[in-house]
Amino acid sequence: MALLECEGLTRLFGGLRAVGSLSFEVGAGEIVGLIGPNGAGKTTVFNLITGFLRPSSGSIRLDGREIAGLKPHEVTRRGVARTFQIVKPFPGLSVRENVTLAAFLRHRSRGDAESEADGVLDRVGLAHRADARAGELTLMDQKRLEMAKALATAPRVLLLDEPMGGLNPSEVDVASAIVLKVRQAGVTVVLVEHVMKAIMRISDRVVVMHHGEKIAEGPPASAVRDPAVIAAYFGHRAA
Amino acid sequence: MSRTAAIGWAAGVAALAVLPFAVRNVFLLHVVILVFMWTVLGAAWNVLGGFAGQVSFGHAALFGIGAYTTIILFLKAGVAPWWGILAGGVAAAVGSVPVGLICFRLRGPYFSLATLAVAELAKLVALNWEWLTNGPVGFLITTLPPLSLFGHPVDWEAKAPFYALAALLMLVALGSTAWLSRSRLGAFLVAIREDEDAAEAVGIDTVRAKVLTLALSGFLAGLGGGFYAFYFRYVDPDAVLNIGLSMEMVFIAMVGGLGTVAGPFIGAVFLTTIGEAVREHFQVGHLIFYGLFMMIVIRFLPEGIWGRARLAWARGRTGARRHGAA
Amino acid sequence: METLVQSLVSGLLTGSLYAMIGIGLTVVFGVMRIINLAHGEMVMLGMFAAYFSQKLWGIDPFVSVLAWAPLMFLFGMLLYRTLLRKVVPGGELNTLLYTAGLSLLVANLALFAWTGDYRTINLPYGLTPMRPFGIAVPAALAIGFALAVAITGALWAFLNRTDMGRAIRATSQNREAAVLMGVDVERVAVVTFGLGTALAGAAGVLLAPSLYLYPTVGELLVVKSFVIVVLGGLGSVPGAIAGGLLLGVVESLGAVYVSATYKDGLGYVIFLLVLLYRPAGLFGVGKS
Repeated sequence: MALLECEGLTRLFGGLRAVGSLSFEVGAGEIVGLIGPNGAGKTTVFNLITGFLRPSSGSIRLDGREIAGLKPHEVTRRGVARTFQIVKPFPGLSVRENVTLAAFLRHRSRGDAESEADGVLDRVGLAHRADARAGELTLMDQKRLEMAKALATAPRVLLLDEPMGGLNPSEVDVASAIVLKVRQAGVTVVLVEHVMKAIMRISDRVVVMHHGEKIAEGPPASAVRDPAVIAAYFGHRAA
Repeated sequence: MSRTAAIGWAAGVAALAVLPFAVRNVFLLHVVILVFMWTVLGAAWNVLGGFAGQVSFGHAALFGIGAYTTIILFLKAGVAPWWGILAGGVAAAVGSVPVGLICFRLRGPYFSLATLAVAELAKLVALNWEWLTNGPVGFLITTLPPLSLFGHPVDWEAKAPFYALAALLMLVALGSTAWLSRSRLGAFLVAIREDEDAAEAVGIDTVRAKVLTLALSGFLAGLGGGFYAFYFRYVDPDAVLNIGLSMEMVFIAMVGGLGTVAGPFIGAVFLTTIGEAVREHFQVGHLIFYGLFMMIVIRFLPEGIWGRARLAWARGRTGARRHGAA
Repeated sequence: METLVQSLVSGLLTGSLYAMIGIGLTVVFGVMRIINLAHGEMVMLGMFAAYFSQKLWGIDPFVSVLAWAPLMFLFGMLLYRTLLRKVVPGGELNTLLYTAGLSLLVANLALFAWTGDYRTINLPYGLTPMRPFGIAVPAALAIGFALAVAITGALWAFLNRTDMGRAIRATSQNREAAVLMGVDVERVAVVTFGLGTALAGAAGVLLAPSLYLYPTVGELLVVKSFVIVVLGGLGSVPGAIAGGLLLGVVESLGAVYVSATYKDGLGYVIFLLVLLYRPAGLFGVGKS
C-alpha cells in the first residue's frame, strides 16, 4: 500500500476547476516531483493535502487512513509536514525558537523540544545561526529554516513547495543534497519544483500536472520527453 | 524564574501586605483598591489581546457575566463573596467558550468588530431578560453578610477586607499572566501572533490555543466583575456591560504595555490615579483625559509605558555589556 | 399593507442617510485600511453644527449643510495631517486604538461643553408630513433624502469623472500599483479622510432635524456604520449605499413587526451572520 495517495481529488473555486480528478500515489521512501507549468494547480494540491483547503470531492489517504478535510495542525500531527513557497518563518523569534515551536508537537518539555530543535538545525546546516532573528536571514538560510521547522515535527511525508525558487546554482546543489539526506533518514518527499536540474537529479518519479489534471507520470527522463508534457510547457508546435 | 523577577515578586507582595497599615486615608485606599481591580481587568484583556494578539472590544460582556453571577448568587442563594467571585470567574470563562468558537473564525479587524457586536447583544439581553437580570433596574446589595474569616468577623464597612480581596485577585491575575508567558501555551500564542498559518503548519492547534486563552481571559475578567459587584454593591446593564468598560480595559493594557506581565499594573496605576484625581477636582471629564492619554501613548509610546521601560533597560544592558567587555 | 409600505419608505429615507455615513467610513477603510472608530463623533459634530447654526443664527440645516460639508472636509484633512498621519505606520491595531481614544476625547469634550441634555431641532415645516400617494412622509426626512441623493450623486461623479477621484479608486484597489503609476498616495489619503469626514458631518447635519441630539450619539452610530460597511463589503461605495438602505429598512420593519426593543439586536445578529458567512459582504465585493 502506498504511504500517501490521492484519489479523484478535485477542487473547484466557483466555476474554476483548480484541481480535477487527480489521482496519484507516493510510496514510502520515494522522492516524487510534482511538476507542471504555472497555474497547473500544484500548490493547490499541497494545500488540499495539508488541510489549508477542503477538497470539493475525492479522497486523500495517509497509510490507508483518510485525511481529507482535516485541519492543518491535525494533518501535521498525523505525519505530513510542508514548507511554503514563500517562506513563512516566525520573523520576530530566533531561529532556534522557530524550530523549538515545531518540536513541541512531539516533545512536551521545553528542554526536550530545544534539543530536538538543535539536532534538526544541525542537519540542515543552520546550527551556527541558531540565535539569529528569523526575519533577518538570507534567502538560502530562510529556506533551510523552513525545512527545519517542517522536519522538527517528525513527519513521515514532507511536502516541499518550490524549495529551490530564487536560489543560485550552487545553492540549488546544496538544497538538493539536504533533500537527499532527508530521504535517507527515512522521510518520504514530494516536491513541487520548476528548477528542472534539481527535479531530474533527485526525484525517483515525477507526476506532471496541467490545468489541474495529471497528464503524465513516470521517471523524470521519460516524462519530460512525453509529447503531452512538452505541449503543456511549450505549446503544441514544439511537441 | 530569574533572581530579579523573584526579588520583584517578593518585594511586591511585601509592599501589598504593609500598605494598608501605612495608608490610612480612606480615599487613597479606595483609589488603591480601584487600581488593583483595574489591574485584574487590564491583565484579563492583556492575556487575549497582548499574548494571543486577538483584539476584543467586547470584554465588558465577560466582566458583566462575572458581576451578575456573583450578585445573583449572593442575593438569591446567600453565597459568600469569595465563592461568589470565583463562581463569577468560572461563569465568565464558560460563557467565553461559545463566543470564542464563533468569533475566532474571523481574523484581525473582523474579529474585533464581531466582539463588539457580541457585547452589545449581551447588553440587550441583560436589559430585556428581566426574569434573569432584573432588566434595567439591576440588583442592589443592601447588607453584606456577617461573615468571619479565621475567627475574625469581617467588617464590610471598612476598606480592609476589600483591599485584601482586591490584592489577592490582582496576584492571581498577574500570577496567571506570568505563568502563561512561560508556558507552552504562551509560546504557541507567540507563534500564532507571528504567523497563524505557519503555526497551524507546525502542528499547533490554533483554535484550541485561542479558546483556552480566551477562557483564562474570561475567568480573570469575571473575577474582576465579581469583585465589582461586592465593592460597589450595584449591578445594572449600563454599569457593567457598557462599551466604555471594554475600551478602558483595552486602554489599560495598551498604556501599560501589551504582552508584558507588569504592564496592566502600570497602566492601571496611571489611568486610575490620574482619572480619579481629575474626577475629584473637576467632577466630570475624566474620560476626556483617558482619550487624550490613550492618543499620546499610542503616538509616542506604542509599546506602552512598561514596554518602553523594558526596551530601554534591555538596550542599556547590551550597551553596558558591549562597552564593559571591551 | 399600508403599514408595510409606510415602514419601507421610512426605512429607505433613514437608510439613505445611514448610507452616507457608511460611505464615509468605507472609503477611508478602502484607501487607507483605517477603521475609524471616531467616525460616529464626526456625525455628532455635524448634528451639533446644524443645531447651533439654527439656534444661534436661524439658518435652516438644509441650507447650512452647504457650508458645513466643506468645513468638515477641511477639518478631516486637518485631523489626518496633524494627528493620524504619524500613527498610521504603526499598524492597523495602533491606528484603531488611536481613533478609539480620539472618539472618547471628542465625545467627552462635547459632553463637557454642551452637557448630556437631549436636544432637538424643530423646523416650522417639519410638523405636517407630506403625503405623496397617501404615505405619510416627514418633510425633514424627505428633504434629507433628496439632499443625500444629490450629495451621493456628486460623490459618484467625483469618483468616476475626476482625476483625483480615479486616483482614490486606484489606491483603494491596489495601493502598490497606484504608487507605481505615479499616484501621490499621501495626497490621496488626506483627501479621502477629508471626504469621509465631510460625508459623516453632512449626514449629521441632514439627520439632525429627525433625531435626538446628544454628545454620545456617536457610540450608537459608529456601531451602525460598521454593520452597514460589513454588509456592503469593506471598501465598496455601492455596497455602503446598499448596506445603509438595507439597515434602514431592517430597523424600520423590525421596529414594527418584531419589537422596538430588539430592533438594534436584529442589526447585530445580521452583522455577525454576515461576518461569519459572507465576510466580503452580501454582494461579495468587500476586501479582507
